[in-house]
Amino acid sequence: MSNVKAIFSHLDSLIDAIDELKSSGHTDFAVTAPLPRHEIEELIYEGQPSPVRWFTLTGALFGGIMGFALCSITHLNWPMIIPAGKPLVSIPAFIVITFESTVLWGCMFTLAGLLYHCRLPAKDMDPELEDPRLSDDVFGMVVRNLDSERAAEMKSILDGHGAIETSITGVRLA
Amino acid sequence: MEYPSNNAEAMVDTELSYRQVTTDVLEPLFKFSKAYWAGLTLVLLGLAYGGFCIIQQLVWGLGVAGYSQPVFWGLYITTFVFWVGIGHAGTLISAVLFLFRSKWRTGVYRAAEAMTIFAVMTAALFPALHVGRMWNAYWLFPYPNQRQLWQNFKSPLMWDVFAVSTYFTVSTIFFYIGLIPDFAAIRDRTRGAISKVYAGLAIGWRGTDRQWRHYMAAYGFFAAFATPLVLSVHSVVSWDFAMAQTAGWHSTLFPPYFVAGAIFSGCAMVITLLMPLSVIFKWDKYINEWHFEHLAKMCLLTGAILTYAYVMEHFIAWYSDNPYEWGIFKYRAVGDYWWVFWIMVVCNCVIPLVWWWKKARTNYWCLWIVSIFINIGMWFERFNIIASSLAHQFDPAAWTYYLPNYIEIGVLIFSFAWFFLWFLLFVKVMPSVAIAEVKELLPPPLRTDAKEAAK
Repeated sequence: MSNVKAIFSHLDSLIDAIDELKSSGHTDFAVTAPLPRHEIEELIYEGQPSPVRWFTLTGALFGGIMGFALCSITHLNWPMIIPAGKPLVSIPAFIVITFESTVLWGCMFTLAGLLYHCRLPAKDMDPELEDPRLSDDVFGMVVRNLDSERAAEMKSILDGHGAIETSITGVRLA
Repeated sequence: MEYPSNNAEAMVDTELSYRQVTTDVLEPLFKFSKAYWAGLTLVLLGLAYGGFCIIQQLVWGLGVAGYSQPVFWGLYITTFVFWVGIGHAGTLISAVLFLFRSKWRTGVYRAAEAMTIFAVMTAALFPALHVGRMWNAYWLFPYPNQRQLWQNFKSPLMWDVFAVSTYFTVSTIFFYIGLIPDFAAIRDRTRGAISKVYAGLAIGWRGTDRQWRHYMAAYGFFAAFATPLVLSVHSVVSWDFAMAQTAGWHSTLFPPYFVAGAIFSGCAMVITLLMPLSVIFKWDKYINEWHFEHLAKMCLLTGAILTYAYVMEHFIAWYSDNPYEWGIFKYRAVGDYWWVFWIMVVCNCVIPLVWWWKKARTNYWCLWIVSIFINIGMWFERFNIIASSLAHQFDPAAWTYYLPNYIEIGVLIFSFAWFFLWFLLFVKVMPSVAIAEVKELLPPPLRTDAKEAAK
């Protein structure tokens, strides 16, 4: 199976190419951009939110519960006699640590979710994408797993959409 | 389909190309001029003198600092609060203004965020220095002693440990995540060992649709988490004081008063740092008077809140008819520390007023000099709060007059040298302007435009 790599210097050319790929039903492709452009994301994922948010929610809930539990359990574990009937487990006094723990763990889980879903850290993710121009000023596309006939066809489609450079690359192993 | 650029107002040159942005921002990296080495030498001298003072204190104990009963919070806590406050503007600019979709943050947020991290790293030195036996500073962290007794989580000092360490961690994650696409740009623009180092830092970032999708989602969440931290961290710092029964401290006004002061001083520090950066690196395409004017306006707003707080705490002290409270506020204005109080008032409430005049807030010299006055004023504000209240407590027999001695001044110099050391290193190894985000401000390259131009 072959991959087709294309470089676009214009955003609208890239968007048209993605549109055609999607309408042809071929979904095994990746697009790169040196900056976040929401058009690309909207077109490919059709407004579906990133699942990273579930990590965020889980982390924040975990952190909040952990923070409050840390304060409460440690105070109950060593019950000091506090004058004036003040409670051992005091919500106002524990709010700050509960809040800080919520934020801290929410962030940690979001980071974990981000790395997991972006498949980072990564090495040699797509050899075609190891092109220094892609972090600079052009948009890239790799259409994966095409047989040789379809690859040639794809190359001409992408050329037709104004790719400034297209190439068919070899077998992708992993 | 329409392809909007984010350039809502003319703050960056829309004629720039993506490539030009990468080139301009990476231009100053790894190039060290004579002026840079001179600056670094100055910083190292500061570190050497400050380091000597810290070693004195380590060897001889906290007695070599100028503390005298009953003033045991002096210059170290003053400087701790000063540096934590400085950090706030960075988070405000990077997170809060991100959520508000404020465009002017783009050029300045990276350096402001770096400032936050270095300021918190500087602030974190002071609790360790202040406890004297700094080899025991790890006792601050939550773990039980041999008798299973944990720290007192009802203590504001413990809250502060959580607040500052969370703030540092979250700011660092936010900073690093923002840098990943730019590290990838450096990786692709350099060769050899440098490229390998940045390849490691970029952790395999290729800017794919999948990566950007999750990245933008996560970035929003980090911003949402960092936003309440802007308000909470300095509120918690203020409770270090406000929870105590000391006259002049025990006030519900403290959290908003401290937060406004923190943002005020932080925005001033951003002006102090970024103006030379913009001029020396010739980055007026990215950071220009438009940005500085916004920062100055932010200072005007927070400075007004701060002035209101100064007036109000004096008014309430008088109106409360509490002799101790009114006594300390009179003492601050006309007592031994009158000069501290009036430096604070002049630098924070009077001098920045020139910025109400547009010409003054768009003039580089005026902006820079006033921003330095604000930095000075904000340091004296914390000294005014801390030293005067402790030196003049309830029992007149215990009244004293505290001034920092040469050891403490040395540590203050150390803190500035330490902060500037990190900042100087930062501007030469990391892009001080966010490359990917500045590109977002440019109109995207379109084939339709090219066709129209050809016609």
